[in-house]
Amino acid sequence: MNETDRKILNEIQSDFPISSQPYHDLGRRLNLTEDEVIEAVARLKNEGIIRRIGGNFNSARLNFVSTLCAAKVPEDKIDMFVEVVNDYPGVTHNYLRKNPYNIWFTFIAEKMAHIDDALKEIAEKTGVTEILNMPAEKMFKIKVDFEV
Amino acid sequence: MVDEQDKKIISLIQGDLPLDPSPFALLAKKIGMDEDEFIDRIKSLKERGIIRRFGATLRHQEAGFNSNAMVAWLAPDSRIDQIGKAFARFREVSHCYHRAPQRDWPYNLYTMIHGSNKEECYQIADRLSRSTDLKDYELLFSEKEFKKTSMRYFPEKTHEKTI
Repeated sequence: MNETDRKILNEIQSDFPISSQPYHDLGRRLNLTEDEVIEAVARLKNEGIIRRIGGNFNSARLNFVSTLCAAKVPEDKIDMFVEVVNDYPGVTHNYLRKNPYNIWFTFIAEKMAHIDDALKEIAEKTGVTEILNMPAEKMFKIKVDFEV
Repeated sequence: MVDEQDKKIISLIQGDLPLDPSPFALLAKKIGMDEDEFIDRIKSLKERGIIRRFGATLRHQEAGFNSNAMVAWLAPDSRIDQIGKAFARFREVSHCYHRAPQRDWPYNLYTMIHGSNKEECYQIADRLSRSTDLKDYELLFSEKEFKKTSMRYFPEKTHEKTI
């Protein structure tokens, strides 16, 4: 990653221009040509540094609810459990963590009742009954851009 | 609130923008909207806080943050607000939430912390702990990532499951 890449990455995480020619406008801000910006972004995507460019939404403002779930899953059931859980489009993140509650996933849906139903369904399908559903009571911080 | 046109726009910009000199014109064309209206509506969604952020999402691991941990904290109820705000001021903390404890899981405050390695994460957690005098906490490193994706709101195909 070179200095130009860094400048571009710091600029496009939060200040991507919402305009007719965003890469041209980025170029003007950073003293680069439109082609130079597009080439760098293409490379950073290829290298896997940029996952995607797009909108990130406040799910609550769209009247969706979100929660963090944690489950105690026996070692030999992990693969099966993860497959069942990940099949729900509302499950956006899912991690193995070293703890008796070893599987941690986030769930977004239009109504908490949908999530409750899904968790019941997951318990029935997998036999895993110790699943915590912990919606946020209060958000203190969401920072999504990182200086690189 | 969002109307039907907004929902179509959201379904188009929640993925990866086409890498084209005029990406919004390309997307607008898909739903027969003119580019100016498409752009104005995105700006309005952003102004109204429905779009929290518009831009690039990085894979942290490749961008120099090799380690991150979820830290679950046990805070006295009376101090949750004060401590949540204190944690939020740390630049190494990306997310901070209060969640109610459940069953045999007593923790009620959660932070995501980012460092260049595990040792640094332990040090960050220790700094957070000392700054708030919270001694009861657990670092939960992710051992494996099973899924990491962005939510698909308002899928275009109505037969798709919405949960």
